[in-house]
Amino acid sequence: MTGKPFGIGLDVGSTTTKGVMVDSKGSIIATHLQGTGASAASAVAHVLESLFSTSGKTRDDCRIIGTGYGRNIVDIAYKTVTEITCHSVGVNTLNPDIRLLIDVGGQDSKVIKIGSNGRPEDFELNDKCSAGTGRFLEVMARVLEVSMDDLGPLALKSKSPCTISSTCTVFAESEVIGRIGSGDSPADIAAGVHLSMASKIGSLSKRVGVATPIGVTGGVALNPAFRYYLSDILKADLWVPEIPQLTGALGAAIIAMKDNLVS
Amino acid sequence: MNDEKPYRKLETQALLQQIAFRHGMEAMAASEEGTLAWVSSGFPVEIPVAMNVFPTYPEQAGAIIGATKIGPEVCGFAEDLGYSQELCSYARASIGSTDRPDDVAMGALPKPQALLGCNNICGTILKWYDANSEQTGAPVFLLDTPPLEAEQKPHHRAYVKQGLERLIEFLAKTFNTTLEEDRFREVSDLSSRAIKLWTQSLKACQNKPSPLNCADRFLTMAPVVSSRGVEHCTEFYEVLLAEVEDRVKQGIGAIREEKIRLLWDNIPPWFILRFFNQLAAQGVVFPADTYTHAWSGAVEGTDTDSLLDGIADIYSNVYLNKNLDAKVDKMCQLIKDFDLDGFVMFSVRSCKRYSLGQLVSKEIVTERTGVPGVVIEGDMVDSRLFNEAQIQTRVDALLEMFV
Amino acid sequence: MSYPEVIEQSNQVLKALVDAGERVLGYIYPHPPHEIIIAHGLKPSLVRTNPSVVGAYEASLQTFSCSLTRNLFSQRVNNSFPQLAGIVFSGNTCDALQNVGDVWRKRFPKDNVFRLTYPVGDLGASSVDFLAMEIKAFSDELASLYGEEFSESSFREAIMLLDEIRNALQLLYCVRILHPSLISYNTLSSLVGEFLTAPTQEAADRIKMTWNEVLERIENMGQRNKVGQLRDSLLNHDLSDFETVIDTSGPRIAVIGGMIEPNTVAGLLENVHGISDTTLVLDMLSFGFKTVFTPPVGIEDDPYEESARSILGAHSEPTQEGLPKRITFLKDVLTRLSIHGLIVCEQSFCDPDEFESPSLERAAKEVGVPTVKLPLDSELSDRARIEGRIQTFLETIDDN
Repeated sequence: MTGKPFGIGLDVGSTTTKGVMVDSKGSIIATHLQGTGASAASAVAHVLESLFSTSGKTRDDCRIIGTGYGRNIVDIAYKTVTEITCHSVGVNTLNPDIRLLIDVGGQDSKVIKIGSNGRPEDFELNDKCSAGTGRFLEVMARVLEVSMDDLGPLALKSKSPCTISSTCTVFAESEVIGRIGSGDSPADIAAGVHLSMASKIGSLSKRVGVATPIGVTGGVALNPAFRYYLSDILKADLWVPEIPQLTGALGAAIIAMKDNLVS
Repeated sequence: MNDEKPYRKLETQALLQQIAFRHGMEAMAASEEGTLAWVSSGFPVEIPVAMNVFPTYPEQAGAIIGATKIGPEVCGFAEDLGYSQELCSYARASIGSTDRPDDVAMGALPKPQALLGCNNICGTILKWYDANSEQTGAPVFLLDTPPLEAEQKPHHRAYVKQGLERLIEFLAKTFNTTLEEDRFREVSDLSSRAIKLWTQSLKACQNKPSPLNCADRFLTMAPVVSSRGVEHCTEFYEVLLAEVEDRVKQGIGAIREEKIRLLWDNIPPWFILRFFNQLAAQGVVFPADTYTHAWSGAVEGTDTDSLLDGIADIYSNVYLNKNLDAKVDKMCQLIKDFDLDGFVMFSVRSCKRYSLGQLVSKEIVTERTGVPGVVIEGDMVDSRLFNEAQIQTRVDALLEMFV
Repeated sequence: MSYPEVIEQSNQVLKALVDAGERVLGYIYPHPPHEIIIAHGLKPSLVRTNPSVVGAYEASLQTFSCSLTRNLFSQRVNNSFPQLAGIVFSGNTCDALQNVGDVWRKRFPKDNVFRLTYPVGDLGASSVDFLAMEIKAFSDELASLYGEEFSESSFREAIMLLDEIRNALQLLYCVRILHPSLISYNTLSSLVGEFLTAPTQEAADRIKMTWNEVLERIENMGQRNKVGQLRDSLLNHDLSDFETVIDTSGPRIAVIGGMIEPNTVAGLLENVHGISDTTLVLDMLSFGFKTVFTPPVGIEDDPYEESARSILGAHSEPTQEGLPKRITFLKDVLTRLSIHGLIVCEQSFCDPDEFESPSLERAAKEVGVPTVKLPLDSELSDRARIEGRIQTFLETIDDN
């Protein structure tokens, strides 16, 4: 295979589809992020279109890797790599010191131990249920009748978080409804929701073994209350990249460029 | 009058606390002396006790962890080690508290020198003790009592008896001790007396009003589980029986106003024993439950050989080691003997051996006795798996049937 | 072959047997007394879970019954099983199978439900005696229900048949371990699947044919003795004397766990990006390795005793005593057979699997072999994620 001067990573997630284009030095040329919606294929097409128009490059200039749950539908990709490896490589590019990466996306969460070569050494994923994922927060935001963007700031106003003991999303939903019924403040309930979420992720992290410094990526990394409670539980500062949703796509693009050098 | 609680506290409870404290101290001392064994609730403790090995119970520790409401946290310690949240919460609490004893205020047990499990209560016990063994380095002894289809057959008894003989060898080797026949007889006798006294207290609940409620029995069963065969255990049940009989004589009930009498099936949710007290306020009492009636057989025998035969028989014939028909028979019998109006089956996610089959036995019990029942689902230690509002609705719906 | 195809094929085989007037006896636990069943004129057949079953267990079982029992129960409620003359539940192996057997009897009183109770304890002769008596009782029940007495001659034929099947499969397992390019895991697992569907002469012939094809190449390579040595070591549960040089140019993965079929594992791996045909070199599954590496039934003693001895001579299940032995054996396998990564299958709500897997993972890590845990259910409802886990795992092994 002949080398191509640019690499593209396409990270097709359950909630959003992300694309990153890098050059041969690994510098970011273009990025795009949009909702996955009902058709992942059309989301992929849109992201690609945007990347090409921003950069002025064409498909022939690029090697493409698909990652994320929809990685197999990226049919123009020459190979797929799982988002776990991609996030690891992406974060390593941005901050080579990070040893533990916590990625919390829409429908799953992962904890990845990053080796000194930037690749995953060990990892853990949440189980099938949606507890400990972005979906959990979405459901709770709906019950509390606040937007996802407001949920975190609301929680940070709390002085005494409620205990939300159920880890099952369905149970927790009825627990939250019960809390509302018994007159707890929305802030305390929201704080309890984040605390429950952070402790679930904390537990996942302990299975892999907590190592510092710790990075957090994925959409939920933008939520300040989640970061606050997670940092408290892990007793460590958390590093968050500027656009935490993009690290998977970035990693995929970097891997595409590295493959390029080999081939 | 309005401040009066809907239930009456047992005076014997003070003594119970003393016994529990004493048991804890003795277990610690035994651990230091190198004579401590962790034991499952259906284990024939008469043998280790007679051989001067001190038994203590992880299941009871699990109940304490549940009751002190740290179940989710301690179970979480085990989950951190890779044990699935789907596993028995007694086991998770035990593995978790063994891993991080300093983070468990009450319920972490002192380090054992041996782990003695009997699978007459569940198949899980072996796996759980295997995990504990990896943690503590103490060897596991499993007494295998395969579940019974019907009557115990001779080859079954012979096999269990072989296991008992192997147990004696194991204890002799591990603890450098021997089994003396006189002592064995004496311990078995004390154990039988404690069980008989306890059984009498249980039976007294046939009276109306019932002198004991569910929670009373769950708490007072602790010594017969943990210390049968020991002198002070027998004494405790003498005191308890006296109080129970006194209540019966005076017509005093466990709750102020007994209106509805129900059967409880399965392990209780330890973290929310107030569940029973709340129901007491609605006039609901539980004069019987399958958990404290789980075993009532007393060990009889005149010499080591006949005592071992008795043990091989009695410990194979416990409630959880029998098939669904036997369980249904027992529940129907309790409903009849205790004149109960209905039943509550607690479907405990932790305990497959106890719970799988309830959906079917509920139908059969109602068919045979004519009384209604309800199945509620939750857990005994892990409150994360317990949805109070949902359960309340179901129980209320059952109670409305009696109006 | 995909797993649905396996089920389809298995159903066809069973249907053909039934049409030809044979009686098929289904079993769930992977260590039935095959030879005794055949001696009563019946064909033992594994009752398979079906990933595409529509859930129909809710009126009888709670959601925390293990996914295997829920799946089987749903199939029965939906009447989607092949025609079985009876079904054998194991007793004393795990709480779910113990109780679901009772529930089954209540819900389907016309089914012929047998229970064969196994010893959990490792008590040597005493365990053999117990199991022999249980098998004897089971045998009497078969005789009275189906009217066909135990036949000494059929029993001897069955011993030979099972010996042929296991012998060839054992050697093929060893070839796969030592020279994975000579037989694909797909082929191997399909042959195991045929054995589980029904140990017929036709199945035995196909298995032997495959072995003969492989044998020639092994002999040309001068490796026949090595394969035999490995087989003996595995049968004896002891690899401590086994030495060999293994080509480790590609990653070598083993899979361990309970109630999942090798076929299912093969099907899962097929879709994983980046896996090569030589990656999975060994399964240590209950329905694969452990069923295959069962010592032959002897002919000297009482048939029931011999049968019990054979069953108890297999590699122990997580439901039995002997975790320390299993751990030692696993470590030997990982180190002496040059395994680079271990996949640990964990069946949802399966107590034995879920309790054992942390110990297996720790053991592997102690000898420097990375592991990945696959939480599975019989419906493979989480398939995309599971494939993702495996792919990531291979990526980490490739890199480190």
